[in-house]
Amino acid sequence: GSGATGHRASGVPLSDFLLQLEDYNPTIPDAVTAYYLNSSGFEAADGRLVRLISLAAQKFISDITNDALQHCKMRGSQQSSSKTKGKDKRYTLTMEDLTPVLAEYGISVKKPHYYI
Amino acid sequence: ALPTSTAEVIASVNTRRKILATAVSGIIQESGFLNVEKAALGTLVEMMQSLISQIGRESKGYSELAYRTEPIIADIIMALVDLGITMEGLQAYKMRPNRVVITPPAHQVDLKQ
Repeated sequence: GSGATGHRASGVPLSDFLLQLEDYNPTIPDAVTAYYLNSSGFEAADGRLVRLISLAAQKFISDITNDALQHCKMRGSQQSSSKTKGKDKRYTLTMEDLTPVLAEYGISVKKPHYYI
Repeated sequence: ALPTSTAEVIASVNTRRKILATAVSGIIQESGFLNVEKAALGTLVEMMQSLISQIGRESKGYSELAYRTEPIIADIIMALVDLGITMEGLQAYKMRPNRVVITPPAHQVDLKQ
């Protein structure tokens, strides 16, 4: 098939994208990502690969939380008309918002009966 | 008594989980939440850990399929595609303005005289 190296990350060739990761700090520290990668047998000499994985994982979670925020806002606008007409809303991420979003991603989460 | 801070929630597991929880909290904050339910944070941290391990496992599989011992970027891309994560928008995400970066712990110099 077509080579995977031909993929482009929004216009920038992948080789350039990888080069840009040279001096970039993802939110997840490299050491943490590398530890979990190593525990599943992945060992890369090139630290940029680890950063790419951190970035991809972050984006995945970030997309989910962004969707959850939309859910939260929609739910809020439906029932807020009565009392919670605050000037600046403080949003809280709850399982109530997270569960339907994760279901869209094909992940079924059940609220644990107890969580410590 | 119930634990109150997010740090306390995962503290019992290990340091890496704790840092991962901090990172996930940062991502949640970036998207506009001010608070997070304990169970929701726990779910996302578990997902993050699971996702990283899975990407590692799949990339390793693809590199071994090609008789390589070390994964290259193409293996990672294939793993990501398999998991349904596209590279689209990754560049924009990388450049996002309000990103949280966890500073590494300061190196403590042992003052031995």
